[in-house]
Amino acid sequence: MVTRRNLLVIVFVLLVAFIGGCAENTPPTQVIPNEPTKEQQQQAAIPDSQNTPLPSISQEKMTITVYNATQDATHLVAESHVVLKNEHPAQTAIELLVAGTKNAELLSVMPVGTKLRHISVKDNIAYVDFNDKLIKNNTGGSASEMLLVAAIVNTLTEFHNIQRVQILVEGKKIDTISGHMDIGEPLSRSEKIIKK
Amino acid sequence: MYRIVLSFLLLMVFMTPQAGIAATLKGNVSSTVDNVASVPKAELANVRWLVHKDAVEGTSKLRLVIDTTGPVKINGTLSENDGPQLTIDVKDAVVGKVDDSVSLDGEIADKVTFIKKDATNSQVVVNLSNMIDDSDYKIFTLPSDISSNKTFRVVIDINKPLPKKIYNFTPGLKDKVIAIDAGHGGSDSGAVGPNKTQEKRITLAVAQNVKTLLERAGAKVLMTRQTDVDVYGPNASAVDELQARTKVANDNKADVFVSIHINAFTNPLAGGTATYYYQKTGYDAMLAKNIQDNLAKIDGFQDRGINSARFYVIKRTEMPAVLAELGFISNPNEEKMLNLPQVQQQMGQSIVRGLENFFAQAARKGGGS
Repeated sequence: MVTRRNLLVIVFVLLVAFIGGCAENTPPTQVIPNEPTKEQQQQAAIPDSQNTPLPSISQEKMTITVYNATQDATHLVAESHVVLKNEHPAQTAIELLVAGTKNAELLSVMPVGTKLRHISVKDNIAYVDFNDKLIKNNTGGSASEMLLVAAIVNTLTEFHNIQRVQILVEGKKIDTISGHMDIGEPLSRSEKIIKK
Repeated sequence: MYRIVLSFLLLMVFMTPQAGIAATLKGNVSSTVDNVASVPKAELANVRWLVHKDAVEGTSKLRLVIDTTGPVKINGTLSENDGPQLTIDVKDAVVGKVDDSVSLDGEIADKVTFIKKDATNSQVVVNLSNMIDDSDYKIFTLPSDISSNKTFRVVIDINKPLPKKIYNFTPGLKDKVIAIDAGHGGSDSGAVGPNKTQEKRITLAVAQNVKTLLERAGAKVLMTRQTDVDVYGPNASAVDELQARTKVANDNKADVFVSIHINAFTNPLAGGTATYYYQKTGYDAMLAKNIQDNLAKIDGFQDRGINSARFYVIKRTEMPAVLAELGFISNPNEEKMLNLPQVQQQMGQSIVRGLENFFAQAARKGGGS
């Protein structure tokens, strides 16, 4: 079954290449059918779909919501990003959060140099692992720490399969980021900090 | 508004039943049948639960959702005869496919049991870890929603109750035991301002002012640190350091605990004073309000108000506790002011007045939590 599927994908890709010539020079919408099943089949044919950027043969999109802070450091504001659909939306959400906001009214909460190391979800709990810049490059204020924790938790709990979030640094559970927040346990979403 | 609706929908997605449309349809059909005493209208089909631990506020809430195959009527009662229990009478529903009993995590409740009451009615018994008040729980029913594949539901929300410790505060500062925590110190400078002012220096200066004023008023002051040192030890883990501070207050049975900090944020324009509490004794918010009301009077600092926060030192101390943020060191104007001895003195006076106001108000409130 899998072999037949792979064969189909190869035929499909060849067909696309044949019809479209060079895919990069051709607007995808003109030649590529917008069928999710085809994309899934192609992903199944690529061994390391997590780390290999996929050619976007499908136009299927997903909306990711991330949270950034208000200028006065009191609230978070939801920001929507429409991106190409992939198999790891939670990872994409954190990457978008780390990338920061383009909205001049808002401020990114992620300390400079913070990178996502790994994210996994088990029993509706997301384990999100950052490098040590999360701690080292924090401003040290409780306002920054609170907004940072809430932004990570609220961004991830946008996904219905994530109910709680455990923040890790360099692979280890941490009790606090800058000595105020008590974050040694998986945390649930905070609605109060979101600007309505 | 959009956010509320979205989060509600997300919650509903989580609560999606396995029973599915078939059960929903069945419920709809049976609900059209007029009252026939011997025929139960609905069955309890499934139960799900979740303890919500708010990322910011630190509050815990248990949510139990029971899927029913039709509409039901519910009524809740609290009792302590057989250990603390919340019993929900479910009218017109029998125990169906749901498990007889489900173990919970013990944070707020240990177990939920489904019991047949008579031919047409059943009971849901929640064994609570600690007794709650009527205001600590909410029960309600939700209708079926075929479009999102949801059946009828009974929802039980239970807040984590406050401990039933009795406090008998008296007015005045004389003979009160007050723990003062100067934030950061030693190897941990805390936040650093644009002109290199270190948070640990300002917090200690204000804490010493508070100490002097309180001792003058006859209070006994416990300082977590009196010099520029780490409380636990140099370069200790963050949690050892925080725990060492709470230990000073807990071991010495302080009446209240006040942690002094200076805030920081990436935007240099953000500013103002704020006081944080974690409601664990019934007096924490009252303490925060009294202190913040006085801090708000200081010229040059806007009032950011009081908020609940999952801050370690106020969550893990046993007595009413607050963490006061005396302005933003990242704000050049506030950094400059925080270096002035007269501003440090005003900050100290505001905290002491706040404590005095708190004991007066707490004494009026009287015993109990």
